[in-house]
Parts: sequence; C-alpha cells; structure tokens
Amino acid sequence: MNIFIHELKSARKPTIIWICSMVAISLLFLSIYPGIYNDAETFKKTLASFPDAVKKALGLSIDNVTTLLGFYSFFFMYIMLCGAVQGMNLGLGILSKETRDKTADFLLTKPVSRKQIMTAKLMSALVSLIVTNIVFTAISFIIASAVKQASFSAKIFVMVSLTLFFIQLMLAALGIFISVAARKIRSVLPVSLATVFGFFVISMIGSILGDKAVRYITPFKYFDNAYIIKNASYETVFLVIEFIFIATAITASYIIYSRKDIHAV
Amino acid sequence: MDVIEIKNLTKNYGKSRGIIDVSFNVEEGEIFGFIGPNGAGKSTTIRTLLSLISPSSGSAKIFGKDCREFGPEIKKEIGYLPSEVFYYDKMKVIDLLNYSASFYKKDCSKRIKELAEIMDLDLKKRIDDLSFGNKKKVGIVQGLLHDPKLIILDEPTSGLDPLMQQKFFDLLREENIKGTTILFSSHILSEVQKMCSRVAIIKEGRIIKLEKMSTLKDNNYKKFKIEIDTSIDKNYFKIKGVNNLSVKDNVITFLFKGNINEIMKKISSVDIANLYIEEPDLEEIFMHYYEKEG
Repeated sequence: MNIFIHELKSARKPTIIWICSMVAISLLFLSIYPGIYNDAETFKKTLASFPDAVKKALGLSIDNVTTLLGFYSFFFMYIMLCGAVQGMNLGLGILSKETRDKTADFLLTKPVSRKQIMTAKLMSALVSLIVTNIVFTAISFIIASAVKQASFSAKIFVMVSLTLFFIQLMLAALGIFISVAARKIRSVLPVSLATVFGFFVISMIGSILGDKAVRYITPFKYFDNAYIIKNASYETVFLVIEFIFIATAITASYIIYSRKDIHAV
Repeated sequence: MDVIEIKNLTKNYGKSRGIIDVSFNVEEGEIFGFIGPNGAGKSTTIRTLLSLISPSSGSAKIFGKDCREFGPEIKKEIGYLPSEVFYYDKMKVIDLLNYSASFYKKDCSKRIKELAEIMDLDLKKRIDDLSFGNKKKVGIVQGLLHDPKLIILDEPTSGLDPLMQQKFFDLLREENIKGTTILFSSHILSEVQKMCSRVAIIKEGRIIKLEKMSTLKDNNYKKFKIEIDTSIDKNYFKIKGVNNLSVKDNVITFLFKGNINEIMKKISSVDIANLYIEEPDLEEIFMHYYEKEG
C-alpha cells in the first residue's frame, strides 16, 4: 500500500499535465464546432476537395463530420495520440525509473517481493489512467454540451471517449513489458514517442491502402469510431485481442521482473 | 548459530567474471570483514545475499532461510547500506525515512530522531539539496532505523568525514553489543582492522583467505627493515618464511613468519647500520596474500 501511495504521489504532476493538454485540445476543437456547424456546406466542400489519400489518412467521413459526434471522433485522433504517449510513458517509466534514478537498491532491499512492487506500481498506473479518463471525458462532455447545436447521444460520446482508455491500457502494458525486457532504458520519452508515432504512421498507411490486416497491428485501428457511432458498440474481436495482449504482456512482465538481475549502479 | 551461510556461490555475468565458488559463514553477533580490491566480487556477493541478483549456482542463506525464496521475510531484519546512496531526489529527508520505515510495520519515528541526532542530519532538507556525505548519513539512518538483526555494509565510509566515520563506527559497535551481526565489506583495510573479528579476503571472484583477525595479525608476522652500510647479495635474505622482500639501495625490507632465531642469525652475520622490527599492518599482510596468490 505504501508503494502504491508513493507512486500515486509521484504520478500526480504528470497526470495533471496530461489531462490539461488533452482537455486543451478538446476545448480548442470543440470551440470551433459551432462555426463549422453553421457553415457545414462550405466545410464539407473544403474537405471534399482534399485528395482521397489525405481524407483516408485523417479518417474523415464527410457525411457526419458536421454532427457533434462525427466532429468529436474526427479530432479524437489527436487526443488518442496524446493519450497514447501518456500511457506508454507511464508503462515504460514506472519500473525503469527505479533503475534510472538508481533507487532500485533502496526499494528492492525492503521486505517486499518483486510481485508486490509490480502490483503496487500497476495499480497506481491504472488509477492515474482512470483518473485521466474520467476527468477528461467529464470536462469534454461539459464543453460538448455547451457547444452542441443539436442533441447527441451521451452514451456514444462516452463510448468514443473510452477508446482512449483502451489504447492507453494497451500501450501501458506494452511499455511495462519493454521496460522489464530491456536491460536499461536511458530515457523514456524517445522510446514512447517512437513507438506511438510508429503505430500512428502504420495506421495512416493502413487507412490509405485500405489494408484490413493493419487493423490487427496498430492499436489506433482497434476502435473504429464510425462503427461505434453507427452500432453503439465495440467490435468484440478487437476487445478480445486487446484483453489477450494486455494479459500476456503483464503476465510476462511479472515473470521477467521477478527474475531480473538488478545491477549495481 | 550462523546468520549468513554462503555455499559454493557462483555468479557469471555472461562471459565476464562475477564470483566463483564463494563459501563462508557469518556467525551471530560478530562483525565480519569482507575485503578485496574493487571489482573482486564483494558487491556481487552482497547483491546475491539481498536477492538483487540471482546466483548461477550455489546457495546463500540468511537466518537459516534461502535468500531467494524467503527474500521479503529475511529483509525485514536486514539493514543495508550501499557504497553509493541514491534516493528519490524530490523527497524531503524525513519523508524518505518515513517511507523507508513504512515497510517495516513498526514505529520507527523515535529511532529516526535518535539516529539523525547522532549523525547530525537535517531532516527537513530535500534529498537533492544534500551533499554526498549528507546523503550517506541518510543512508546510515535508513539502514538502521528498523533495528535490524543483520547489517550489511558495502564500502560504507566513502564520503564521510573522519569525525562522522568515528560516530558511525561507534554506532555500529553499539548495535553489535546489542547482538546485531554485521557484514562489513571494504577495500580499506584499516577500517576492517578496527572493526572486525574475522575476515574473508576475496580476489578475482574467489575467496583466497578466511581467517580470524587476530590470526591474521598474529605475532608470527614481523616486519623487518634493515639498513646496511655495505652492499650485499640481493638474495641473501631469501630464506623460508621471508615474504615481500625488497632491496633498495641500502635498505632491505621484508615480512617474516617463522622461527625468529633463524632470521636473527642471518641478520647477525651482516654488518648492519640500523634495524627496525615492527608489527605489520593488515595492508601489508594483505598485499602479501595478493602477490603470492597472484
């Protein structure tokens, strides 16, 4: 419990910063929404004049981009990008920072098992992500309600927002796995930026080529907002894949971490 | 009872050497010295005891329990002070110490205050504002605050000024009198000499000597320094029992272990200008082991 609280305290600042940046993006886009709604025809025409590849890469579906949910899911891509970096940072950093800051000797000579340490850290990461998502979604929902031009489904709004959480969970799990598998991670941000943008580029290329297989490779493609808006549900197969991925990565991380040699500084 | 039992402990780091077939026991209530030059394998042995690294083969037990299997349980009663201390920079000293205490499920606040006072440590400062020596003090308080039954010290004195070293040694002796066992690793022989009752000497990953401090310093060893006026054959004193022989200009020095009469006879047949016979310090005995084994 003490490790958990210690971790939460040290995660407080970055979590607040991430929430603020994501809320800022949300606010920025939502604040121009009334203008777009009122000038829907011009906006659609402008978008329609974009080359096909660009439209696909941006994930635009012109028909409903001027509805609030359509617009929200259009710019939500940038929120996801941001949130994905947060998730990956959190996962990569939570164990590796002890090695980097050379505090591993302190923590690991205390009467706690590696499993307990891992669990405490996982829980604190989970709590930061949950808090991030609740606060972000709540504030975005309030802004959206303020700028709406017609009523929209709160359920679908929340469902679209929740995909942020799913992607963060996945990247956090991946981050933890990489951090225990690697001998030492000197700096977290380059690794997480490279991974996240790597996935992002793959997903853009996949969209342009219309390749179905790409959907399984990059987490950014696991949740198709157009599908969610249309069916008010997630695609089960991707939820299952995500669950299996996370379970595998976390289990493997537990096993590797409990056997890992902690070298002298 | 043996507090630490190390049996045939071996650790390979890929191709590079770690430790090879290290075995020794530390008895309850003793201060055990563990000496060797840097890179000899002292830290590797200690890190294995603390299950920071896992051995390639062999076993280590503390309080009769396997280090790896019962790690968390054993560590309740261990205080560890590494050579270089690193803590969470943004924390205040007192918060760090309280965090450390929170692992032991007992009230340590009184002991923290006591120790901080002895070591003259400001509890309100932030860790990253502390000098190296002051961080070391945090390490000392952190290692002792839960009244451990076994204290493991890995080159503990670096960064401490002589006054603080003295206070620290006094503290350790006090703990030892209360029954605490201490494993004291160092490459500085004089401090081991001051503190320890038995020593293990490690070199290139192997234990090369395990002995009582008193035996090591036994009167059997004498340090001879002879000044002569005339020149003599360089190998004149090369007889059984003479070690570390050096002949420089007119000064001859060596360590001698054996029948003192034999060496006196040898000396008496040379025309000498001056003669010094001294107790060797541990360092010289130690160097002797190194040269002989190497």
